[in-house]
Amino acid sequence: MTSPDVLVIGAGPGGYVAAIRAAQLGKSVTVVEKGEIGGVCLNVGCIPSKAIITASALVSRMRQADRYGISVTGVAVDMAKLVAWKDSVVKRLTGGIGTLFGKHTIRVVAGTARFTGPGKVAVKTAAGEEAFSPGATIVATGSRPVEIPGFSFDGERILSSTDALALSAVPKRLLVIGGGYIGLELGIALHGLGSEVTVVELTDSILPGTDPELSAVVHRTLKKKKVRVLLGAKALGWKETPGGLSVEVETKKGREEIACDKVLLTVGRRPNSEGLGLDLAGLPVGPGGFIAIDAHCRTGAEGVFAIGDVAGQPMLAHKASREGIIAAEVIAGRPSARDWAAIPAVIFTDPEIASVGLTEAEAAAKGIETVTGKFPFGANGRALTLDAGEGFAKVVAEKGSGVVLGVHLVGPEAAELVSEGALAVEMGATLEDLALTIHPHPTLPETIMEAAEAALGHAIHIYTGK
Amino acid sequence: MAFEFKMPDIGEGLVEGEIVKWLVKAGEKIAEDQPMVEVLTDKATVELPSPRAGTVRELRAKEGDVVPVGTVIIVIDEAGGAAKPAPEPTKPAPEPAKPAAPKGPPPREPAPPAEPPREPPARVLATPAVRKYARERGVEIAAIAGTGPQGRVTREDVDRHVAAPATAPAAATTPAPHAVAPLAEDRRVPLRGLRRLISQSMARSKRTAAHFTIVEEAFVDELVRLREKLRDEVEPARLSYLPFVMKALVPALREFPYLNSSMDDASNEIVLHGGIHLGFAVDTAAGLTVPVVHDVPGKTIPELAAEIEALADRARAGRATPEDLRGGTFTITSTGPEGGLHATPVINHPEVAILGVHAIRRKPVVRGDEIAIGHVMHLSLSLDHRVVDGMTGARFLTRVVRLLEEPGRLLLGMKQ
Repeated sequence: MTSPDVLVIGAGPGGYVAAIRAAQLGKSVTVVEKGEIGGVCLNVGCIPSKAIITASALVSRMRQADRYGISVTGVAVDMAKLVAWKDSVVKRLTGGIGTLFGKHTIRVVAGTARFTGPGKVAVKTAAGEEAFSPGATIVATGSRPVEIPGFSFDGERILSSTDALALSAVPKRLLVIGGGYIGLELGIALHGLGSEVTVVELTDSILPGTDPELSAVVHRTLKKKKVRVLLGAKALGWKETPGGLSVEVETKKGREEIACDKVLLTVGRRPNSEGLGLDLAGLPVGPGGFIAIDAHCRTGAEGVFAIGDVAGQPMLAHKASREGIIAAEVIAGRPSARDWAAIPAVIFTDPEIASVGLTEAEAAAKGIETVTGKFPFGANGRALTLDAGEGFAKVVAEKGSGVVLGVHLVGPEAAELVSEGALAVEMGATLEDLALTIHPHPTLPETIMEAAEAALGHAIHIYTGK
Repeated sequence: MAFEFKMPDIGEGLVEGEIVKWLVKAGEKIAEDQPMVEVLTDKATVELPSPRAGTVRELRAKEGDVVPVGTVIIVIDEAGGAAKPAPEPTKPAPEPAKPAAPKGPPPREPAPPAEPPREPPARVLATPAVRKYARERGVEIAAIAGTGPQGRVTREDVDRHVAAPATAPAAATTPAPHAVAPLAEDRRVPLRGLRRLISQSMARSKRTAAHFTIVEEAFVDELVRLREKLRDEVEPARLSYLPFVMKALVPALREFPYLNSSMDDASNEIVLHGGIHLGFAVDTAAGLTVPVVHDVPGKTIPELAAEIEALADRARAGRATPEDLRGGTFTITSTGPEGGLHATPVINHPEVAILGVHAIRRKPVVRGDEIAIGHVMHLSLSLDHRVVDGMTGARFLTRVVRLLEEPGRLLLGMKQ
């Protein structure tokens, strides 16, 4: 029986951060990981997908370089080589975490953990089983992709996001089921690398849950790219044909057989709360498989904390990391709490979408009257010199006080820009604070300043009336 | 359509109010203008009426909570909107959970997430560092009145809140461990409502003002006779001695303006008041309340008598308005028959003087060279020595005694 101060189950962006912070605070820490250090995010999620997206965007750019008088010929994608580069990026990052673990003398146990009783955890390893009775346990088991009836991941024809990031060749025809952010990020990336892409989305909009004003811009570029998007469409099943696969899709107009070579299934993720013996820990699993936590990441069971995807929406790495820090600090007796004002969200589509805080609709639902300012990237000098004038920045503020409630962006580098909005929302900044902060010229963040000016009624570079 | 009712700024400069009592509960129908909650502001309990008709969806504050102005305290489903019979569960988490996972309809989606039990989404304007600072000091930041731009809670606000422990409801959330196990008969009563306010303001007064008290006696045979003669003429109001005391104070306060002043501790200035607005202590079931008779010089004795009675009635019923309690420049505390021989009254901060008026008793007095029976009233004057020196206070008190002993002198000040 081993009794570390803290046992962390899962070494993703929640778990590894929790482990390091706990060690910084003088705790003895053991981390259990059944897969790779870094979890989904580093190994088969955020990081590798960004690497592929970067390469894809470069290909697209080379294809349009002619506009700038640059002739590029013979562009060819060696998918295996691209994947190898991506893997090297991943390895560098996960290796970095391994080094940090070493410096903090955090013990890593490769295996599968489950509770065997309150405060008791058993880990099945290659060598056998090891029992733990830690001072505190942090459940950071993350989430996994879900399947739908008629489609099961086989790594060959029906791909998960993980499979899509390890392709050895660019599929000629790709059918994406699920027009959420994972499906569109990967779908657009593979389109850029040469795939012919069709997206099947069950709801009436791509990127459900995103401000429709933002997703509309992405939808327009999908059309321009000739990515076929079927909305209100349901994939029923598939069969193999001599030329590849045929997927039966029920659309509003009737049933349709869509020919493709691979199917990418990205319809959502489910928390990894099964098989953990949570009932033995005295911990009921809530609806949807999430573990309920309080403001301090405590669960209903004494000494058990939960963080990240398994502890509730939104399933975002940065939320998991923050919760990891909070859980570790609470275990160390510090008064940390999940008291953020907003969690930014970023989508690496083309163009990117990024959002923090409330939209007008969300504010209205809370009974808050708002003023909104918008500024198009088409009127921003830097965006045009990047040849990326699509989209806009939108600032939502409380009417009267001008306190910034949300910043929403669709356009070039939106994901990089949103942090200014997150800072504004966390600091309780007002429209004037944003408008009066001098932004360097010519840069993309000027759009946020000008959107704030627009909300105040006097943006310089667009006419908003007298 | 859900209507969110925010704690209004009931009086000028009000920063927070305490929820004394909810008059409605979740799920209940509510009419427009129906009283929904009793709120304690600076000394007054006020009933807030509902601005909308509909159904109460949710109460966002508990009785005893001190809520900053602008915080949503009740959510009402308006009658015009879709009828929502049952109160919805609290919508958790204010964050936009947007592209968390592609959200599709049920069949192919994981069930909607179990939202963890989260803190209510009270939007408190404060930087993350200040929020952390408040947590470290064990303070619920939502309970702190912010003084920064748009009501932002600053680090200094947190310090101030911590320094005034009476206002810190944090004690309620994290009960202090008992050093000694309480005896079986011990009972703990939370410091709430008027008691909390009294506790705060008395402690503040004692902490800041340099109290001293002068006691004098007044031979008030003439005043007693005068009142006997007049008492039937001022029906319906009951004619107490208080209007006479007030009238006697007017010329004295005019002569000694520093007694009719306030200490502005923030700016280190003495504010000499132009008007004479006299507060008088009323003993109510909930505790001591001090309504104010405004513009005492401009009112006749019967008018003063009527107003004193009306103010006292409202105060005893717990219905004093903020206006009733605001703007005093000097306070009188009549201790009544059980009030003792003399007292050391606590100044009603930020005023600088308070006059204790004790019961009139028949006593042996020296008249000429004889001992006779006379009516004697004791007066206890407490002063803030930072503003008023002993001799000034004594002269003032002598002047008041003179006017009470010879009420005819008040004629000298008459203008009509």
